[in-house]
Parts: sequence; C-alpha cells; structure tokens
Amino acid sequence: MQNDKQCLSLGPLRLQVDPVRAKTYALETGGDGLSAPLTYPAIWLTEPGLLKIIQELCQSQDVIPVHESQSFYYSLELTLGESYDLYVLLKRVTDPSRLIIEATIKTTTNELVATIETILRLVPQDILKAKA
Amino acid sequence: MSYAITLGERLPEVIIGPFDADALQHYADISGDTNPLHLDEKLAQSIGFSAPPVHGMKILAAFEPMLKNWRSELKIIGLSGKFVQPILRGETAKLTGKVLRVSDTEIFVRLFAHGSQRLPAIIGEARLRPPTEAAA
Repeated sequence: MQNDKQCLSLGPLRLQVDPVRAKTYALETGGDGLSAPLTYPAIWLTEPGLLKIIQELCQSQDVIPVHESQSFYYSLELTLGESYDLYVLLKRVTDPSRLIIEATIKTTTNELVATIETILRLVPQDILKAKA
Repeated sequence: MSYAITLGERLPEVIIGPFDADALQHYADISGDTNPLHLDEKLAQSIGFSAPPVHGMKILAAFEPMLKNWRSELKIIGLSGKFVQPILRGETAKLTGKVLRVSDTEIFVRLFAHGSQRLPAIIGEARLRPPTEAAA
C-alpha cells in the first residue's frame, strides 16, 4: 500500500466464530451472549495480518485512523462455533484521504453470509496537532 | 401484516455508559481494537480531545440488543452507522431509534446515539426482516 489509489485483496482467511469470544463480545456490548452478535466480525478485522497492514500504512504516512463509518449486511446468520471464509479488499483513496475496507464473509461452501464495510479517515497527525 | 409496527414508532431509549479508562481498555482487549487514540489520554489531548473517545464500534454494537429488546421476533439483517462526533470517556450515550419505513419484507429504523454534544455522535440505520407466516 505504498502509493495512493492502490488496492490490496486478502483472503480467504478461514476464521471461526469462537463461542467464548462471541459471548464475551456480546456481553461487553450489552447483549445476552446466546448468539453471535452481528457486529462480531469487527473482531476479525483486527486479525494480526490485517491490522499490521493498516498500522504500517498509518505509520508510513504519519496519519491516525479515525473510524468514520461501519456497516454489516447479512444474508445468513452467523453460527457459534462455525468456520467462515473472510475475503478482504483494502482500498486507499485520497480525495478525501481514507482507507476503505470491504469484507465479505462466506461459508466454507462459498455461500454468501455477509458484507461489511469499514471506512477509516486517515488524518495527518500534524494537522490534528495544529488544531489542538 | 401480522407484526404491528407503526410508521414513526419510536424505540425505547437506552442509556449506556459512562465508560472509564478501564472500560475502554477492556473493550480494546476483547475486540482487538487497540488504536491508542481510545486509550492514550495524552495522545487524545494532543489532537484536541479533552479525553479519549469511546470506540465507535462499542456504541454501534449496543444498538443490536436495543433492537432485539424492542422486537425480538424481527431478524436484524443490517446495521450501519456513521461516526459523526466522538463520545468521550466519562460521557454517557443515549441511543434512540425511529421506524421510517415498513413493508411486508423489511422494517427500516433510523438510529441515533447522542453524547453531550448537540449533534449526534452516530447516525445509523437498521434493516429488520419480519417473521415469515410459517415462523410467526
């Protein structure tokens, strides 16, 4: 992700809805922990391989990622304990400066489960500091 | 339509928080979102916040139980939000919702989260599917 307007696709990453982690996340966000929260895949977006790419991009450009928007749309429900394939497309756009993370969750038999979009505004640290 | 939902119906308000530093660290540990902006007071202050902002996802996720508590028979098929203003550590967040569209196949709910600012912190939406006749 060295130059602007570059796209990077990752996946499939085989990930599981860990029942313990899903319950912990549900209880943390006000749920009852009896089912997988529909926002649970946000956890998958912090997988080390993906997070490292985002962190390196931000460090190399001296920007702070600010979460601008988030969406989850489901065709099928997530099942506790089930494994899924996560496909991720990272898109760096410059006007305005953003990192758009488009993720698709599929069953291991290639059936669409959900689409997720995360938009991070990339704010130069020097601009933020000048405003302070 | 066997599920009685009125256009313009308002969901019961929910108040969450306030969240202290331990709560934000706990969410970071669970979610994996360790962005220092939410955890480092000096960094937050260096960029103009009086305190670290609460993770937007922590607040957006709280709409799911709110929606389920309102109408558990509806299936949530979509949830999204734009993070407009930060809710800072120590603030509470008021979650509200209003039904804007109802059809045989989908209910659309506009969602808001407000902190201490006049403008909403989150403007969101939820799409819910009514129970099928067979399941109802």
